Formats: sequence, structure tokens, C-alpha cells
Amino acid sequence: MIKRLLNQCMCFLLLLSFNATSKEYLIVLKDHLFYPSQIIIPVNKKVKLLIENQDSTPEEFDSFDLNREKVLYPNRKSIIYIGPLSKGHYEFFGEFSPNTARGVVIVSDEEGQHADN
Amino acid sequence: MLITSLVMSLNQLLPVAILLVLLQVVKKQSFLRIWSALIVGAVMSFLYMQSASWISQWFEHQGLEYSQMGLCITIFIAVLVFAIRQKSAAFYIAVISTITLYLSHYIIYLTSFWQNNDAGQSLFIGTLLGVGICLSFSVLLYFLMNAIKHRFGMYPLLTLLALNCAAKLLVALDFASQIDLITNTTTVWDLRDLLSENSELGRVLRALVGYEATPDLMSVLIYSTSSLLFLLFCYFIPALITKERV
Repeated sequence: MIKRLLNQCMCFLLLLSFNATSKEYLIVLKDHLFYPSQIIIPVNKKVKLLIENQDSTPEEFDSFDLNREKVLYPNRKSIIYIGPLSKGHYEFFGEFSPNTARGVVIVSDEEGQHADN
Repeated sequence: MLITSLVMSLNQLLPVAILLVLLQVVKKQSFLRIWSALIVGAVMSFLYMQSASWISQWFEHQGLEYSQMGLCITIFIAVLVFAIRQKSAAFYIAVISTITLYLSHYIIYLTSFWQNNDAGQSLFIGTLLGVGICLSFSVLLYFLMNAIKHRFGMYPLLTLLALNCAAKLLVALDFASQIDLITNTTTVWDLRDLLSENSELGRVLRALVGYEATPDLMSVLIYSTSSLLFLLFCYFIPALITKERV
């Protein structure tokens, strides 16, 4: 009985650790601005955001739309996975500088990544 | 900077204040116990903040999420134990873990921007306003919950406590999907046009019962199951203990 339970737990853990490679998108935070501030990602695909904080102060990546929250330490890289998402606009912002550090993830059939500034 | 400080302080202090009020209504704690939990919690957040930059680099930049998930699960268990047995150790663990989870973010913000030229005054006023609003809200919630407890008994209070704790598991779930430990499932509903989480009411409901405008299926299942289990444990375990004593 215990052996079977252990086997089931192992299978569950293996399933959890199995992840298809997700496409990576680089976002740089500099002078309290996100570059690029607009990212286009494909529908129903999980993607990896690699966020590099090049400022001398920390920032908190926050998004109510994506249900994500992470402190970005100065001169450090952070990883956040998002998706799979349905079509639409999903805003994100820096909680410590919400007036300047703002961006949007656009989920559409058209795949790509571009900076609008 | 003033508005940001106010919003930040409300976001980080309100969940702590709400949990403290709910626990206080379940069983009143002495001032000494409350203050010692608050002071230890503040020290723990400061220590956590000091080591956060280092922890963040563990497990391929995922150390913070693992530690925060641990704190969320600890809060859920400690509050459940407190609701069932009213042990002071459970009160301490719940309050200290909640303060560590939420206040550390605010300490990072305060310490980072304090040295900026004009920021000091705005930070101070923003924080003071935030603390004031939190205190006013807490006093109103305390009297409301006490009135409800006397009029309708413990169960409305325990239901709110169950939803508040289940919300901590949602936070843990979001951290788990943030680091790809679990995969997000389909979004069940999208209420962003009706009530945004960014609005005033949205933020209060988020702190009170973990409101999410765009929850996925896994979040809905975990939220409903854990709050139901919380209530079942609160209902059956005290009854069993009383039966054993008789």
C-alpha cells in the first residue's frame, strides 16, 4: 500500500517537473522604464520572461491581469513564467514606480516581440 | 511618490491588519502578545529583506518564490490550528509569517527610496496616511465582526477567516505557476470590466477574501476546496475533542 502511494507520488513529481521548453522574452528595466514595454506572445502558450533590472534601486514587477508579483533586485536577473493565455491585453507595471514603469503583454496569433520606444 | 507610498503601504499592511483583527475576534489576545508578535514580525521581515537578494538567486532565480510559498502554507496551517485550538503559538506563527510575507516588500521599498532627495517626506506622509487608513479600517472591521459574532455565532467569522486563509494558498499557487512548478489552466471568468483588482474595492476585496478578476480553474478549485476543508475541520475537530473529554 505504502509502496504504491510512493510510486504514485513519484509519478506526480515527475509530471510536475516535466516542462516543455518555453520561449524566452527579455525585458530590461532601465531608468524606471521597461524595454520593450510591449511584448507580443502567442495564444495558449506558456512563455518565460527574463527580466533584468539595470537600475540601482529594486523594483517590483506586478500584474493584476497576469497574477504575477516579483521583486527585481538591482543588477540581477529574474525569471517569471506566464501563460498559457487567451487573446487580449495584459498590463504589467513596476509597483515602486507605477507612473513610469509600465508595459503590456499582447496575446495574439501574430507572434513576435517589439519595442514601442 | 506620495500616492505610490500610500498605495504600497495599504497593499502591504491591509492583509496583516485584516488577519490580526479576525484572529483577535476569534479569541482576544493580550496587548503584550499582540505587540510582541508585531515586533518579532517586523524584525523577521527586516532579516528576510536583508537576505532576500541572496535567497532570490537560489534554485535558478526561484528562491524567493519557494520561501514565499512556504510562508503562505505556514499561515494557512497556523490560522487553521488557531481557529480549532486557540493556541497562542499558532497565533504567533500566523501573525509573524504574515508580517514577514507582506512587510518585507514594503521595507525593500522604503529602504531603497529613503535616500532619494525629495522622497523622504513623501514616503513618511504616505506611510502615515496608509497606517491611519489601515487602523481605521481595522477598528471598523473589529466592531463589525464582533457584532456579527454576538448576533450570528462563530460561523460567519470562521467563513471569512477560511476565505482569507484560502486566499493565501492562491498566492502560493500564483508563485508556483510563476516559477513553472505548475501549469496555469484555462481562465474561468474575466471580471476585469466589472471590478478590476486595481480599483479601491478590488484591492480591499483582494486583501479580505483574495478576490481575483481572472482566476484559472486550478485557483477556483484550490480556493473552494481549501476554504471548505477549513470550515469542516473547524466544525468537526472541536466536536470530537469535546466528545473525548465527556
